Amino acid sequence: MGIVVNLDVMMAKRKISAGDLAKAIGITPANLSILKNNKAKAIRFSTLEEICRVLDCQPGDILEYEKE
Amino acid sequence: MWNSTKSLQLSSICTKLLIAAVFVFAAFLPKMLNAYIAVSPAYSQLAQITPLMVVLYLCCLPALAALFSLDRLLVNIKREEVFVERNVRYLRIISWCCFAVAAFLACAVYYYLIFLAVAIVAAFFGLILRVVKNVIEEAVIIKTENDFTI
Repeated sequence: MGIVVNLDVMMAKRKISAGDLAKAIGITPANLSILKNNKAKAIRFSTLEEICRVLDCQPGDILEYEKE
Repeated sequence: MWNSTKSLQLSSICTKLLIAAVFVFAAFLPKMLNAYIAVSPAYSQLAQITPLMVVLYLCCLPALAALFSLDRLLVNIKREEVFVERNVRYLRIISWCCFAVAAFLACAVYYYLIFLAVAIVAAFFGLILRVVKNVIEEAVIIKTENDFTI
């Protein structure tokens, strides 16, 4: 699997919808969907920073490494 | 004012005209060859016409495949889909078509030495297109990576 994005878990904890999160981070809902569904090839530090700020969490809460 | 849209239209029209020209050429090839033999110098009248006809008909197939691929490529560019996997495939087809024409013409060198020059030019075009295909292939990878970087 490699790097897994657990964004939906953190979103559920913070009770925030995808649309609201996308607006707060400043990315499109389509791009947030790519991120949520583990389709993204990379994540910018600026995006990660915004997600952590909005969800009040650490990068490790969102990103997880899973062995193949 | 000349712009990229008009340039694309001109390329598209030229491609379609060339496709039509290949069909016309194929239809009238025997007549054209007979006329060529009739007006050519005496030594060329001794040349065999059948191998020349076979080679030229064989060359029509990759030529048409290359022209149709070129047309599809232009359609994709018009749709602003430049760095996509399909275009790499079309460029690969065109490149192989050039190599096929070069191979057919190289076989015909036995009958007509002048075809050696045309075969070299066709192979050179094929090589250039192969390099362009490699460049576009890398660009597609970079674009995909960029599109999926959030």
